[in-house]
Parts: sequence; structure tokens; C-alpha cells
Amino acid sequence: MSTILECKGLTKTFGRKKVLSNIDLELETGKIIGLLGPNGSGKTTFIKLVNDLLTPTAGEIRIAGFKPGVESKKIVSYLPEKTYLNEWMKVEQIIEFFSDFYEDFHADKAYEMLQKLNLNPGDRLKTMSKGMKEKVQLCLVMARQAKLYLLDEPIGGVDPAARDYILETIINNYNKDSTIIISTHLIADIEKVLDYVIFLKDGELVLSSFVDEIRAEQGKSVDKLFKEVFKC
Amino acid sequence: MLRKLLKYEIKATARIFLPLYAVLFSIALINRLISFISPLEVQAPKIISMIIYITILVGMFVITFVMMLQRFYKNLLTEEGYLMFTLPTLPWKLIVSKLFIAIMWTIASGIAAYISIFIIFMDFTGISSLFTALIEFCGKLYTLFGLSSFLFTAEILLTILIGLASGILILYASMAIGHLFNRHKILASIGAFIALSTITQILFILLVSILHSLHIHDILLETTNFLNMEVTVHLGIWFIILAAGILATGYFVITNYILSNRLNLE
Amino acid sequence: MPWNFENDRPIYIQLVERIQLLIFSGTYPAGTKLPSVRDLANEAAVNPNTMQRALAKLEEDGLIITQRTSGRFVTEDEKMIKKARDKLVQEQINEFLVKIQDLGFGKEEVLAIITKMLEEMKI
Repeated sequence: MSTILECKGLTKTFGRKKVLSNIDLELETGKIIGLLGPNGSGKTTFIKLVNDLLTPTAGEIRIAGFKPGVESKKIVSYLPEKTYLNEWMKVEQIIEFFSDFYEDFHADKAYEMLQKLNLNPGDRLKTMSKGMKEKVQLCLVMARQAKLYLLDEPIGGVDPAARDYILETIINNYNKDSTIIISTHLIADIEKVLDYVIFLKDGELVLSSFVDEIRAEQGKSVDKLFKEVFKC
Repeated sequence: MLRKLLKYEIKATARIFLPLYAVLFSIALINRLISFISPLEVQAPKIISMIIYITILVGMFVITFVMMLQRFYKNLLTEEGYLMFTLPTLPWKLIVSKLFIAIMWTIASGIAAYISIFIIFMDFTGISSLFTALIEFCGKLYTLFGLSSFLFTAEILLTILIGLASGILILYASMAIGHLFNRHKILASIGAFIALSTITQILFILLVSILHSLHIHDILLETTNFLNMEVTVHLGIWFIILAAGILATGYFVITNYILSNRLNLE
Repeated sequence: MPWNFENDRPIYIQLVERIQLLIFSGTYPAGTKLPSVRDLANEAAVNPNTMQRALAKLEEDGLIITQRTSGRFVTEDEKMIKKARDKLVQEQINEFLVKIQDLGFGKEEVLAIITKMLEEMKI
């Protein structure tokens, strides 16, 4: 198994506040991984660091051997928790944009997904609701044939039907050469879909294990374990 | 990748500028028509249409300026930045694509303003006499300076371009610095602009006084004895180009450093 | 329809049991072709790797046979299926008997209750 993501002593501070401290991590290719932790535990900061949107205070990150940069961006498909689309564009224009900038983007796949979610490619993003925009973004991100998908809270704000579709999409798009990292604090919904989980607590890595190992060793679900680890 | 970025930057801006120019030209044309058909003693329609025209003309320059700020700020430093900075490209290419297109539209707006003035005031004989005058001017320039008149033209164009670039880049650098703050980013950007302009002026004064203390102007004046006025003027222009170029580079380096290493998207 | 899982045991073990049941109950009779890993994973709404692992376990037990070109099949060996089925029944009855013994019931007592209940079920 090759390593898709490796962190050594990864630390990020904002001013005096330590948001991530000394994370050592090595993730194998071909897994669906849950990045779990309550709000403010450093999940988004971690994902932004991998995406080169932030620069580490200390330590280093390697994505398939590359430092965050042009080469890593070619193989990472990122779904932020923000809606980042240019409001003036139509959906089909943003699809063209993705086709132009990402070699691994498949426009036909994006159109197919949009259709399943009842979204009209001719609509302007300006006229869409927040939920619809999030779905458009998901289609764009999953229509890439990336090595690493980083999905930041993809099931946070959407309705149950869309959530099921998202999970289905994730299962359908999964292949042995790609890795999916999903950050969330709603574990019960996605536990079945995960191979592996990482727990972040106050910026520290407190657990990193296979889901079925946790269930076998602890005799409880990851969701239950999560609630025990993070009970206030 | 830079080519694609430029293409999208043009797409994103042309949808504003092209209709804007169309409106400007239409209003100019209406002005022309009104002054053509209305009798001499009726002034009101002429005045009203002229006021509208001037408002649109001023509005066009304001929009050109606002777009220059907005394309950088909104597209790179707000949520849209998540998309732009995860594209497989380097931050400097993002900056350069914004800069080139901003320069392009500034020049285009200037040209559009001239064209609209032509539409209102010029007739065909006027235009042709203008062209003959222009050709005459070039001819005179050539007889006066010879080949170096081409050099002059190139130098002046370069000065305009570099001047525009450094003017735009100081704004980019200010916004990048303002973005480092967690709150009141716009206020901080304005503060950064004031600080950068002040530093620039201090540096400029320093440079001039250094040159002064080196008696550069004496040397130049002396050189006129064995060289000529022309060389002095060339040297002067190149000094301006160099100074503006250094400033532009400085602002660019600041902007690029912040966007590469200190990105702080909300 | 996503399958339901208990929270206290590994998911792959529960998948093995579910697919065993589907085979024993005749939903997937001997010799039939199974859906692909992806389709099965989708139906159960589970991770494809976990489904893969469950199928590998079933293959190890001999209930499933993989043909390299055409996919996975339920074994054609009906005896094998019957044996596995009997083993499952024996395991479950054994578990039940242990529990019931712990509660202090004797052999005759248990037999009597079961016979009585089975007779009632017939009606």
C-alpha cells in the first residue's frame, strides 16, 4: 500500500493560539477516512493546510510525496465548507472552468450528477439557494478523478435525501487508487461508509484506527466512542 | 495556466465593460443627434444629454477603478479565493492575470472615452484633419530627433504601462496587507495604502537627495556639453521607468509573499 | 434500502452473516452470480472495502467462489451450503442452550417447553 498523505510534527498557531499541535500521521491509499472532532478541534485548519491555503507553523505535509503546491493541487479535489463559486456564472460555465483547469475533471460525469440532483445546468448560481450551491460544488468535486478527495463537512447542512445521495456518490466513486477524507461531527450517519477514523481533540490527534478494529476491541460503535471521548 | 487565467479574467470583466462602453457610445451618439436636430435657440435637451453623457463618462472611470479593486479583493481574498488558490497554479500567476487585465481595461476605458468624444464633436473632415495633423506631428518629431523619436514613443508608452502597473500593484499590496488582519480588513487595507504611499514618498525623497548629493545634475549638465539635450531627456525618462519599475516590483513581491505564505481566508 | 447494523460488533462480521442468510434462505441460490462489490456496498450503504472483506471471508469459508473473468458466484456445492447452514443452526441453538442452562432449566424441562411451543406454532 502506498501512502497518500503524510504529516510529520504538523503544527499551526494563530497568534498565540495553537490550533494544531504536532500531528504525526500516515494514511494509506484506497481508504475512506473520517476526520472526526467537535467544532473547533482543528479539522478545517488541517484540511486547509493540506490544500496549501495555510502555511504550517512547523512540521511538514506530503501528498503522494509532493509538498502542498501545484503538483499536489492537481491530484487533490477539495470541497470547502464555504460556497466558493463565482456568483455571476451559470452552472455550465463553472463546469467549463473546471474542465479547463483540472485535467482529471469529467464534465459528462458532472452533468449526470447534476441531473440526478435535479439541478439545471443553465441556471445562474446567483439565483440558487445555499443548499443548491453546495450540491453543485459536490458534483464538481466528485466529477474529478482525483487521488485524494478532501470533503469538509459535506453532510452538515443538507437534507436527508441529499445526504443519502452524497454517501451513495462517495461509495460509487470510490476506487482503489483514490482516498477520501471526510470531516464531520455527525458520525452516526457515515460510520458505515468509513474504513478508518482519525479523532482530533483541541488540535491533537487522540486516535487513529480502523472502524472495525474499534468495534471489535471496544465492543462499541465509533459514534459511541466519539461521544465518550468528547463528552464535556 | 496563465493563459487560461487571463481568459477567465477577461470573461469575468468583459461582461461589465463591453455593455458599459456600448452605453457610453450610445449616449455620445444621442448627444450628437440632439445637437444636430435641435434648433439653436433650444438649449435644454442639449444640456441634459450632455450632463447624462458626462455622468456616464465619469461613472465609467469609477467603475474601471472599482472593478480593479473588486476583481482582486473578491476573487482572491473572500470565499472565491478557496477556488482560485486550490487551482493547480502559482499565486504569482493569479496576481499577474489580474494585473494585466486591469491594465488592459484602464487603457480601453481611456480609448473609449476618446472615441466617445470623437462621436460627439468630430465630423469626417475633422477626423481626417486630425490624422493629417498626427502624421505631420510624427514627421516633425522624426525630423527633429530622427530614429530616436521611435525610442521616445516606446519610452513614453513604457512609462505609462509601468506607471499603471505600479499604481495598481500598490493597491493589490495594500489589500493583501489589510487581509492579514482578522477584523476590519477594509479599514486595514486603507491604512496599508497610506503607509505604503508614505514609505514610497520617503524613499523617493531619499533617492533624489542622494542623487543630488552625488551632483548627478551637474554631471548631466556637463554632459550636455559633449552629448546633447536628447540623451539627458532619455536618461530622465529611463530614470522614471526604473523608479516606477522598482516600486512595482516591490509591491508585487509583498503581494506575492502574502498570498503564498500568509493566506488568511475566512 | 440500507441494511441495519448492531453498534457493538464489527460491520464486516455482520455483513458476512447477512449474506450467509441470503444464501441459506434461497435469495441467492446455489450457483447464482452475486452483484458486484460496488453494487452490494451501495445496497447496504457500507464502505466497499468492508464489503470486500466480508466477501473474502465468505470465500475463505467456501460459500462463495470467485471466477476471475466473470465475477463472484454462490458455490454450486449444495452439500457445502447445507453443512454451513447446519453449522449456523447448531451454533445458535448451542448459544441458546447455554443461556437457558444458566437460568437453571434442566434438559427435560427445556425439551418439554420447546415441544409444547412447537405444537402451538403448528396451529
